[in-house]
Amino acid sequence: MGDVATTYKQPSALCIYARQLAQNPMGLMGAILVLIIVGIAVFGPWLAPYDPNQIMIGPRMGPPSAAHWLGTDHLGRDLLSRVIAGGRIAMLVAFVTLGAAMTVGLALGLIAGYGPKWLDNILLLVFDAIRSFPVIVFGLAVVTLIGPSLYTVILVVAITSIPIYARIVRTQTQTLRNAEFILAEKAMGAGTLRILAVHVLPNVLGPLLILASMDVPMVIATEAGLSFLGMGVRPPAPSWGTILNDGYNFIRNSPWPVIAGSAPIILVTIGFTFLGEALRDIFDPKLRRAQ
Amino acid sequence: MPLASALYAQSGSVLHAYSSADIKKLDPAFYQNSVDIDVMNCLYSKLASYKPGREWDIELEAAEELEQIDDTHIRFKLKPGIMFSGGYGEMTAEDVKFSFERVLEHDSPVKSDWGPLQSVELDPEDKYAGTIVLEKAFQPLWSISIPYGVGFILSKKAVMEATGDGGDFGITPSAVSGPYMLEEWKPNQYTKLVRNPEYTGDLKPGYDEIRIMPMDDEKVAERAYEAGDLDYTQLTLSSLANYKANPPANTTIEEYPSLYYVWVGMNLENDTLKNENLRKAIQYAINVPQILDAAYFGEAAPSTGLIAPGLIGHRAQSIVPPEGNLDTARAYLEKAGGAPSQPITIDTLNATTWKTIAEVIQAQLGQIGIQVQVNVQDTGSFYTLGMESEGDRWKDMQLVINRFSMLPDPFYATSWFTTEQVGVWNWERFSNPEFDRLHQAALSEADAEKRAAMYHEMQDMMEESGAYRFLTHEGSPVMFRDDVETALRPDARPLYLGFKPA
Repeated sequence: MGDVATTYKQPSALCIYARQLAQNPMGLMGAILVLIIVGIAVFGPWLAPYDPNQIMIGPRMGPPSAAHWLGTDHLGRDLLSRVIAGGRIAMLVAFVTLGAAMTVGLALGLIAGYGPKWLDNILLLVFDAIRSFPVIVFGLAVVTLIGPSLYTVILVVAITSIPIYARIVRTQTQTLRNAEFILAEKAMGAGTLRILAVHVLPNVLGPLLILASMDVPMVIATEAGLSFLGMGVRPPAPSWGTILNDGYNFIRNSPWPVIAGSAPIILVTIGFTFLGEALRDIFDPKLRRAQ
Repeated sequence: MPLASALYAQSGSVLHAYSSADIKKLDPAFYQNSVDIDVMNCLYSKLASYKPGREWDIELEAAEELEQIDDTHIRFKLKPGIMFSGGYGEMTAEDVKFSFERVLEHDSPVKSDWGPLQSVELDPEDKYAGTIVLEKAFQPLWSISIPYGVGFILSKKAVMEATGDGGDFGITPSAVSGPYMLEEWKPNQYTKLVRNPEYTGDLKPGYDEIRIMPMDDEKVAERAYEAGDLDYTQLTLSSLANYKANPPANTTIEEYPSLYYVWVGMNLENDTLKNENLRKAIQYAINVPQILDAAYFGEAAPSTGLIAPGLIGHRAQSIVPPEGNLDTARAYLEKAGGAPSQPITIDTLNATTWKTIAEVIQAQLGQIGIQVQVNVQDTGSFYTLGMESEGDRWKDMQLVINRFSMLPDPFYATSWFTTEQVGVWNWERFSNPEFDRLHQAALSEADAEKRAAMYHEMQDMMEESGAYRFLTHEGSPVMFRDDVETALRPDARPLYLGFKPA
C-alpha cells in the first residue's frame, strides 16, 4: 500500500487546466485560433510571400490567384502579406496596450482598494471621468492633438482601458482587505506592501487575466476602427483597419480587400472570446461547482 | 435601391447633393472655398452669374443692364423690386457700392478677386444705377469679379446692423435676396436651404429644399449615392469606368473637364527643404503618370502647371518631364549632400485619392533613398496647415499634396502664389518679386498672346523654384438621378438654382 501511495503523481495545475480546456470544444477552437494568429504574427516576416508595402501596378485589384492567395489591393500590393503584417500590428497593439493597462490598472486598483477612503474617491472620479468618453471619440480628439501613429493608438486604448482593470482590482481588494487571513497577517505585523504583494495580488490576477483575454478583440477592433478612419497607423503600414478602408473605397472594383481586411478581425474576435470564456469557466470556482 | 432609400432620396421636392467640403463662411467678402460660393449662389444676387452649360458664359441676374463703357468703367442698372428678406427693403445701387467696396475696406483675404477696383459711383438721378470704376483695365472682371464670390450684393443696412463696421459677419446671413434662405447648418453634416418666402425675383427654383452634405471623400459620396442618400454627386475618376459599365439604377453619368489643379508643394522655409537641390531631387523623383495610374486609374492626364488646357496661359509642357528622371534626381540628391537623416513628411487629406498619391510618392522617393512619412489629416486640420494665422504648424510642414479650384481666367490661379499670400494660401512660401510684377501686369494686358506669355513665365518661375511638382487637372465626372435636371458650370460645379425635377 505504501509503495502505491508514493508512486502516484499528482497532475500539475497546468495539466488540469489544459485537460479542462481540451474538454471544452469552443475553448479548444478558441485556443487553436489564438495560437495560429499569434504564430502568424510572430513568424510573419518569414511567412509573407511579398513585401507588404511593395506597389505593383500591374496586378492591382486582382482576385485570389496562385501568385496572390488573397488577391491584391488598389496599388497591386499582395493582400496576404498585408494581412500578415497587419496581424503583427494588431498583436503588438493588443499586448502592449493590455500589458500597460493591466499594470497601471493593477497598481491604481490596489491603491484605491487598500488606501484611504479619500484617495479611493479621487481615483474613482478619475476612472469614471475617463470612462465617460467614448473610446473612438476620445481617440479622434487625441489624434487631432498629437497626430496619428501606432503609438497614439496604443496610448489611447491603454488610457481608456486602465479604469476597467483598476475598478476590478479595487473591488477585489476591498473584498479581501477584511478577510480573516488578511486580518491575521496584520495581527502578526505584516506590512501593507507584503499584504498586497503576497496575499492580495495572487487573488486578483486570475480575473484580471481572463478579462484581458476577452478584451483583446475590443482593443484590436479599436485599433482597426481608428485606422479605418485614417486616424491610426500611418500609411503604408498595413493595419487590418487600413486594408478594410482601402477595400471599402474600391468595393465596386473588387470585394477581396474587404474580405481580406475583415476576416482576420472576425477570427481574432471569435478566438479570443471563446478562449476567454473557457478560461473563465475553468478558473471560476462557482461555475466549476455548478458544472 | 431599397424602396425606403428611394422614397427618402426623392420625397417631396428635396434635393440631396454632395459637396467636397463644408461651408466656412457665408460672407462673400471673406469666402474661403468654392462650396461657400455654391451656397451663396442660392442666397444672394449678383449683377450677373455663370450660365449653366458646356461653354463659359454669363447672364444677367440682378442687373437689368450691364455695360463696359471703357477699360476702367462698367455701368450697371439693377432690376427694380429685388427685395431683401427680414424687412431690409429694396436692393439699390447703394447696396452694390457697399458690397463691392467693403471687400477692399476690410482687407479681405480675397480682395484680389476685385483686382484694381477703385470705387463704385452712384448715379444721383437713378437709385438703381451706378458705375464700377477700376484703377486700370482688369481682364478677369467678367469671368471672376462679377459672376463669382466678391460679386454678391448684400443689404448695407442688414450688414451694418449685424457688424457695426460692415466687416466679416461669418456664417449667418442677416438678409438674403436670392430664392433660398439658410434654415439650418449642422457642421460637417449638412447645410439646409429652404425657399425664401420674400423672394421677388424671376428665378424659379426647382426644389423646396436643398440639402448639401459635405463628405471629405468622394468615395464615401459614391456609397451614399448608391444607398439613396444623395441625388447628385461627383465621382472619382478611379470609379468612372466601373460606374459607366455598371451604373446604379435610374442614373445618368456625365463627364466634364476640370479646371482644378493638383500639385505637390514644398515649404521653402522649412529647414530641411531650404536646400534647393533636395527640392529638385524630389521634383525629378516623382513620376506623375505612375501616380495618375494608381490614383485615377489612368483617367486623368498629367498637367503642365496651374492653368488647364483651353485657358489663356496653359503651358504646352512643364520643365520637369511628367515621368521625372531618377538619374537626375540622384544627381541633385548628391549635390544636396544626400538624403535627409530623418524622414520628411507629406501631408494629405484623409481621402482615398490623396492617400494613394501620397503612398505612391512615398514609394517613388524611397527609390532614391528619401524616407517619407505620410501625415493624413481631416479637412479642419488640413486646410489650416500652412496658415500663419492658425499657429506655427506651417514651420514643420514639408511636402503637401494640394488641390485648388479654378475659374476661367489664369489670374485666379496665380493670385494664390504671390508674396502677399505667403502664410495665407501660399503654403510653399514662394516669393518672387518678378512673379508678383508679372501677376499685376497680366491683369490689364489685353493682348491675349502677350498675356499668355506672362503666365507661361510665371509657371516656369514656380517650377524652377523647386517648390512645385504639378500633377494633374483631374476630370469632373458627375452622377445624378434621371429625375433630376442638373445645371452645371462647364467644369461641372453645381449651380443649384438651375436644378429642377425632370
